Amino acid sequence: MKYIKQFTIDQTPSIAKNKHKATTLQKRERSHKWTLVLLAMCTVLACVLYVFVGVRFDHPQLFWYALEIRVPKLIAMLVVALCIGKASMIFQSVIQNTIVTPCLLGMNSLYTLLHTAIVFFFGSASRIASNVNLSFAIDLLVMGVSATFIYGYLFKKTKYNILYVLLIGTVLSSLFGSMQSTMIRVMDPNEYDTLLVSLVASFSNVNTEIILFSIVVVIAISYILRKDFALLDVITLGKEQAINLGVDYDRTIRRLLFGVVLLIAVATALVGPISFLGLIVANIARQMFQTYQHRYLIMGSVLVGMIALIGGQVFVEHIMVYAVPLSVFVTVIGGLYFLYLLLRQKRSI
Amino acid sequence: MKIEKLTKTYDGKTVVDQVDFEIPKGKVLSLIGPNGAGKSTVMHMISRLIAKDTGCITFKGKKLEAWKSKELSKRLAILTQSNHVQMKLTVRELVAFGRFPYSGSHLNKEDEELIQNAIDYMELTQMQDQFIDELSGGQRQRAYIAMVIAQDTEYVLLDEPTNNLDIYHASNMMKTLRKLCDELHKTVIMVLHEINYAAFYSDYICAFVDGKITNFGPVEEVITKENLKNIYKVDFEIQEVKGKPLSIYY
Repeated sequence: MKYIKQFTIDQTPSIAKNKHKATTLQKRERSHKWTLVLLAMCTVLACVLYVFVGVRFDHPQLFWYALEIRVPKLIAMLVVALCIGKASMIFQSVIQNTIVTPCLLGMNSLYTLLHTAIVFFFGSASRIASNVNLSFAIDLLVMGVSATFIYGYLFKKTKYNILYVLLIGTVLSSLFGSMQSTMIRVMDPNEYDTLLVSLVASFSNVNTEIILFSIVVVIAISYILRKDFALLDVITLGKEQAINLGVDYDRTIRRLLFGVVLLIAVATALVGPISFLGLIVANIARQMFQTYQHRYLIMGSVLVGMIALIGGQVFVEHIMVYAVPLSVFVTVIGGLYFLYLLLRQKRSI
Repeated sequence: MKIEKLTKTYDGKTVVDQVDFEIPKGKVLSLIGPNGAGKSTVMHMISRLIAKDTGCITFKGKKLEAWKSKELSKRLAILTQSNHVQMKLTVRELVAFGRFPYSGSHLNKEDEELIQNAIDYMELTQMQDQFIDELSGGQRQRAYIAMVIAQDTEYVLLDEPTNNLDIYHASNMMKTLRKLCDELHKTVIMVLHEINYAAFYSDYICAFVDGKITNFGPVEEVITKENLKNIYKVDFEIQEVKGKPLSIYY
């Protein structure tokens, strides 16, 4: 420590520059903060619109009825946006690639497989299947552990090579898909009907029964993994730099992947599989905040997700009058945006 | 730092075989040898980037694996060749990462000062707000060295620091590394392919062939016609320039 100071020859100009540079950095920090405030305001606006557009204020009974339906859906969408935004940003940083989403891991198929397996082996009338919260807990546990084990092991084995990750994800998701369809084929048709209702969640048909539980899960994940989240900035420097700076790399990556899997599981349980949303929100956040600091990136990605989901739902419910579901928009816009990202990346190479 | 009977095997092939040596403190040590001789592997093992199979690495009287990773990162820094950053990161922000083992992401005043000193020391003051991916190879390498300086470790390990640099940047890099040892009193250990850089800028040389150490000692003892021929299987001429052995090969 001491020697460095000794050998800085010209102290005065460096201090003067120091001050100047500090302000440029501070300026960037400030602009990040303002962008966050702006995004937060847009989110609040979207929420207000979603809850109050088309509500009969003159009729208290109708007013409360509408609120009773809308508020739980709103909360569910906020939780989904939080999960997807956070999980996508973390996953991209862990894999060191900005055009991937955690859905490529085949997590959605694992989720459907698990649900199907529970109904298949224990029956739809069993306690595990009929108690929504219990089955949700089992999903989370099994998914979290198995996915972390599978992916954690495979990532390490393939040295975090993005191509292997994508390949493994594709293979596993068709494996899980085939296993699930085999079970469905042998299943009792009545059981299948019950199963289908629980499997096909959507933005217009949010699985509101598990909201409270999922909020608890999200908070617990954020709390338990808070130290690992703080390491994300360093992890983006690459494995060797991260180890050099004293990060227990393999353990941190395992824990982060565990968090990503659980967050995706929560989102899937609430509204069903959504593939492109994470890609869109994470990349928009990256464009808005040209920084490596994950506290801004994650917050930004979450807020953009909230605006996109809630604003989109307002659009679908009041302008399209439910003619087109939100997931269609997400997929279409997400697909186009994905192409744009690919083309832009190619140009920069 | 002391290395005893260090061994590493990949798929039945022994790349590092019973290597013993001691790193002289406060000196520049270069590891040389042909491709695949195991120099980089040794470097990665002594900096805990990869796990060793058998053997013992003692760092400051304590086994390397007994050190906490964070504590170790305050005493030993490694710079490898794979330095690609996906993120938008400025020079100053990169250098600031050097303080991570001490302060995490909350930098205090002393950290800021050390960061600024490291930037000035590497003459990056003018470009400290530029993004890393917009710099040239030589500038980027200097930014990483500045980060290592900010990390303020006693030991600095570098894997082919002159790789991909032209003659101007490479020789400047070597001068900087020499300064790290002479002015900042660091122990510098590096893997080098350029024998002449190794001969002119280091105090000790350690030569590897097929995972074993063939020669270890002060520059003048190792850089001789016979030794180099044994190591590289190529004919060498040695001329003395400025009191150092300059090797000529073709």
